[in-house]
Amino acid sequence: MTEITEQNKVSEKFVPKPSLPPPPNTTGAIGWLRYNLFDGFLSSCLTVLSLIAIGFMCVNFYEWAFAKAVLEAANRQECRITPTEFGTCWAGVKFWFTRFIYGRYTDTEIWRVNFAAIILILWMIPVWLPRVTAKLNIALSGVLIFPFLAGYMFLGGDRNWFMEIMVSVALGCFITVMIHSLLCLFTGAGISRWIIQLTGFSSRSERLHKFPVIMFAVIIFLLSLFLINDVAFKEMPNNLWGGLFLTLVISGIGIASALPAGILLALGRRSKMTVIRVLCVAFIELFRSVPLITILFMATTMFPLFLPEGFHINKLASAIVAVCLFAAAYMAEVVRGGLQAIPKGQYEAAEAVGLTYWQSMGFIVMPQALKYMIPNIVSNFMGLFKDTTLVSIIGLYDLLGMINAVSQDPSWIGLHHEPLFTAAVIFFIGCFAMSKYSQYLERNLGAGHGR
Amino acid sequence: MNTKTETENKQLQSVASDEVAISMSKVNKWFGNFHVLKDIDLSIYKGERIVICGPSGSGKSTLIRCINRLEEHQDGDISVNGVTLDSNLKNIHAIRSDVGMVFQSFNLFPHLTVLENCTLAPVWVRNMTKTEAQEIAMEYLTRVKIPEQAEKYPGQLSGGQQQRVAIARSLCMNPQIMLFDEPTSALDPEMISEVLDVMIELAETGMTMLVVSHEMGFARRVADRVIFMDYGEIVEQNTPEEFFANPKSDRTKLFLSQILSH
Repeated sequence: MTEITEQNKVSEKFVPKPSLPPPPNTTGAIGWLRYNLFDGFLSSCLTVLSLIAIGFMCVNFYEWAFAKAVLEAANRQECRITPTEFGTCWAGVKFWFTRFIYGRYTDTEIWRVNFAAIILILWMIPVWLPRVTAKLNIALSGVLIFPFLAGYMFLGGDRNWFMEIMVSVALGCFITVMIHSLLCLFTGAGISRWIIQLTGFSSRSERLHKFPVIMFAVIIFLLSLFLINDVAFKEMPNNLWGGLFLTLVISGIGIASALPAGILLALGRRSKMTVIRVLCVAFIELFRSVPLITILFMATTMFPLFLPEGFHINKLASAIVAVCLFAAAYMAEVVRGGLQAIPKGQYEAAEAVGLTYWQSMGFIVMPQALKYMIPNIVSNFMGLFKDTTLVSIIGLYDLLGMINAVSQDPSWIGLHHEPLFTAAVIFFIGCFAMSKYSQYLERNLGAGHGR
Repeated sequence: MNTKTETENKQLQSVASDEVAISMSKVNKWFGNFHVLKDIDLSIYKGERIVICGPSGSGKSTLIRCINRLEEHQDGDISVNGVTLDSNLKNIHAIRSDVGMVFQSFNLFPHLTVLENCTLAPVWVRNMTKTEAQEIAMEYLTRVKIPEQAEKYPGQLSGGQQQRVAIARSLCMNPQIMLFDEPTSALDPEMISEVLDVMIELAETGMTMLVVSHEMGFARRVADRVIFMDYGEIVEQNTPEEFFANPKSDRTKLFLSQILSH
């Protein structure tokens, strides 16, 4: 100790040297270029070659897409720019574009599809608004209940008692979600708090609070039942559905059902009960080892053979079921991977405080595991979205089916490239949006999670 | 610090009654071919504070993990507060909600705040309302001296603070028995005492406690009985004074000489 203090006394005062600027051309844009693109002879050569290749492609693309573009034409023959050469016939895409989106859905009824899409968007917007509470319930109701409303709006026709109830429930949920979100935005308190306050239950015990809320739900349900009473849509059988609309219906149902089904299958595969485990393993392995196209063919051509005479299964319905089963098997393995990342201590701690199996899965394990799984889940969803194009092979007119149909139209015969390019752009927009959203989710859910 | 010296001066009064809290008879357990627990006979009385020590692999953790069925015993009987542990899920849940457990690696739920960690089980297992559960949680967080951390996530706390949250989380269920599985083994030396202080205060309230630990100072001060285990058997059990002063078996002597030599 004494030595150190003596040393301190004799030591000189330390003055740090002033900082000097870095050597020229190592920072900023020039530094970046030097380091990344022109770092030595080989690297410079490669950069120049790549630039030439990219430039060449860009010029060609510009020529194809813009310079030779024909925007107004009534048929393919009018798309010639010289007597021997066809221009890029965007006119055909323009002419067919509504068909690409809605398939053969009757023009006068297309508003129903758009209306359902707007309802879904309105339903989901609150999930992204920070002031809105009960986001999980809103999202879940959107995924589980909205399909009934959408299904009826798309299909139309008569409603049986089940659809009558489900459509009213869905409409009631939608109205509730809207009121709740507006109340949250403007007053900061959710709908249940308002109900409890307005009915004067706020002074009573917390256990009684559920009763006015239940009353409100019943009233809203009866109101929606009354609202839809006079509404009847023209029937639009689903062989008229098509285009991007059909692609979204199939992949939407596939995506919505894949995650819950995958979770159940993954839990089943880890179960201690032998029968359940064996069944889940068999299901997963069977559907993972068979190509989707085979399953689709089985569902639409072979499965009806096993059915009794005169019993018809809708082709779209069987395709959707096939896609769902296939997606569930894949999702199950993704979920299982995520479950394995959760330390054993978490399960034990959850058990030790007395939570039941489903409680500990729901509150402790799944929320943590799902966060790890987001990149894989979204990859799977994107794969599913693109895989649905396979249904065009079994004769459903999804986006790809409609694209192929163009070239068989007598007035647009031979028109392949432009529609396919359009489809590629549409798929890219969809998938890129999903990918960006998953990155946003990962960042947001990371808040406060470990260090 | 103040409480520590106070408790040092005051020999803890034994509050053990004659009522049996946990009884184990002829309990056997195997991991594969490895016989971890051999014919364990043990009765623990209400309010009793027991420290279990022994070399690693001697079965002490397995013993207390059998009490809340984190491990399943294959032979013999265990009953907790008069309820027999068998494969009946109802009994298992009843016992688990009455028996708190603190782990070596804390095992807090990292995606929930400290307060949510404490209120989750009372709300879902005890059917408390959220406000009730929060009041109780804040009370126990105050008792373990970290009420100001309630809104933080476990990952933002130090090891000692996390372990105290884990103790508070267990206490929120208002358990009758607390199991501690090497609660200080994963902690930095400086944080051990803050956790032990909380455990000593808990012992003063008359809680039935089973502690697997090598903290011999803690055993001397708090325990009513010290149990030494090796090779899956209870080698020796005695009051701390007798246990440390006159160990009977030579295995115990060897263990004590090794553990106390530094």
